[in-house]
Amino acid sequence: MSRAAVFVAIVVTAWLAWDTGADPVRLVHGVPWILDFVRRMLPPDLTVLPSTLGAALKTVEIALLGTGVAALLALPLGFLSARNVAPGRLFHPVRAALSFFRSVDTLVYALVFVAAVGLGTFAGVLAVVAYTTTSLAKLYSEAVEGIERGPVDAITATGATRLQILRFGVLPQVLPLFLSYALYRLETNIRAATVLGFVGAGGIGFYLQTYLRTIDYPAASTVLLVTVVMVIAVDGASGALRRRLV
Amino acid sequence: METPLAIEIQGLSVAVAPGTLALDRVDLAVPRGAFVVVLGRSGAGKTTLLRAVNRLVEPAAGVVRVAGHAVTGATPAELRRARRHIGMVFQQFNLVRRVSVLENVLAGRLAHVPLLPSLLGRFPDPDQARARECLAQVGLAHAADRRADTLSGGEQQRVAIARTLAQEPAVVLADEPTASLDPALTDTIMGILRRINLERGLTLVVSQHDVKTGLAYGSRIVGLCRGRVCFEGPPSAVTPAVVEAIYGTGAPA
Repeated sequence: MSRAAVFVAIVVTAWLAWDTGADPVRLVHGVPWILDFVRRMLPPDLTVLPSTLGAALKTVEIALLGTGVAALLALPLGFLSARNVAPGRLFHPVRAALSFFRSVDTLVYALVFVAAVGLGTFAGVLAVVAYTTTSLAKLYSEAVEGIERGPVDAITATGATRLQILRFGVLPQVLPLFLSYALYRLETNIRAATVLGFVGAGGIGFYLQTYLRTIDYPAASTVLLVTVVMVIAVDGASGALRRRLV
Repeated sequence: METPLAIEIQGLSVAVAPGTLALDRVDLAVPRGAFVVVLGRSGAGKTTLLRAVNRLVEPAAGVVRVAGHAVTGATPAELRRARRHIGMVFQQFNLVRRVSVLENVLAGRLAHVPLLPSLLGRFPDPDQARARECLAQVGLAHAADRRADTLSGGEQQRVAIARTLAQEPAVVLADEPTASLDPALTDTIMGILRRINLERGLTLVVSQHDVKTGLAYGSRIVGLCRGRVCFEGPPSAVTPAVVEAIYGTGAPA
């Protein structure tokens, strides 16, 4: 039984490698080119640092605004797609809509919004909002489905309305989780926003793409360094906040 | 029109699964001001009976009226209005852990206060005062600003009782209120329940696994056997034979 499974796994992997043209020999032959690429990036061209920092700030702004708006928009959707609190009529349609919109990544949304509102950071914000709202709604709904039933019973027994039950019986149980998920999304959105500039949706990615295309590798390496520092800084700040929540 | 009955239950059945009844045609009339103790083995239907009175479980058949309000057959809005008159205390206290003690007690005011401000967490001053008063009555005025989950089990159950008092109910249902507590705390909690029964004239229905405690506090005893009422009478009528009938052989002392 398990031998058969191992055999199947080997065959499938071999076929995948063949079909994707995966070839370790070619990778080995490519190593000198990678080294040459790295060598040509050094030393970084620090004259582009001021404009790069400005673009990095824009990227952080895109992620912050997009995640913040999405964290709020996802609130009603999270409750409406949680099995234990959603009204029966709405549960399935909302779940289906969320799965549909979540199947598309931020970068694809960016292409759509660049076409809709033009080049620039606004398209980037919209792309982050679109993807993050659906993914947070899913995380929120799972948090709501994991709550303790007891406090909800107790609030229900007081004669509270449905909204009051959500506000006093459910929300206090899930709010720290909601915030923690939103911060986690902020961290992944910083990374996603980095490449938004590749498709014209603003931020630091635009500079990276431009310098690579014009073969200005020293400038590109400055952009990469700033990106790394930016991501680590946001991860650190967000992580510290999250630890205080739980 | 004032009816002398706080709770009227007729032909109440609750199904837990198709063909399996947790309650089987229960009839019960609880006069105003009574302190009813429900005795029975675990699984006899004590919890189900209490939860059917405020329709936290949906009955399969039967009629429930509380303080003149129809519980069965009520629309959602009517049910909320009826629930306002029915306080409930739970075995596991069921406080919202992460919020303050005072906020937990204020939850008892939810059916009395305007909806929109309440959703923003705003309660009118008289309601705040009411909540603090109820907290003082269970001896926890000093703990108002502490987080609920920092309190001991006995204190949490007192907060839960304060929440119920803040509701200003006509009837209080207490489902095994001392079962999760140290035996030493049983008398504290049962004593508080007796006090609100005597001083406020509230009608109490308390389920108890412990016969001695039940007989010490109840003014009226109801025995449940496999979803049916198998005894009803004053504590003095509970003979060893009655205890054996309720609990079967190997009855607890």
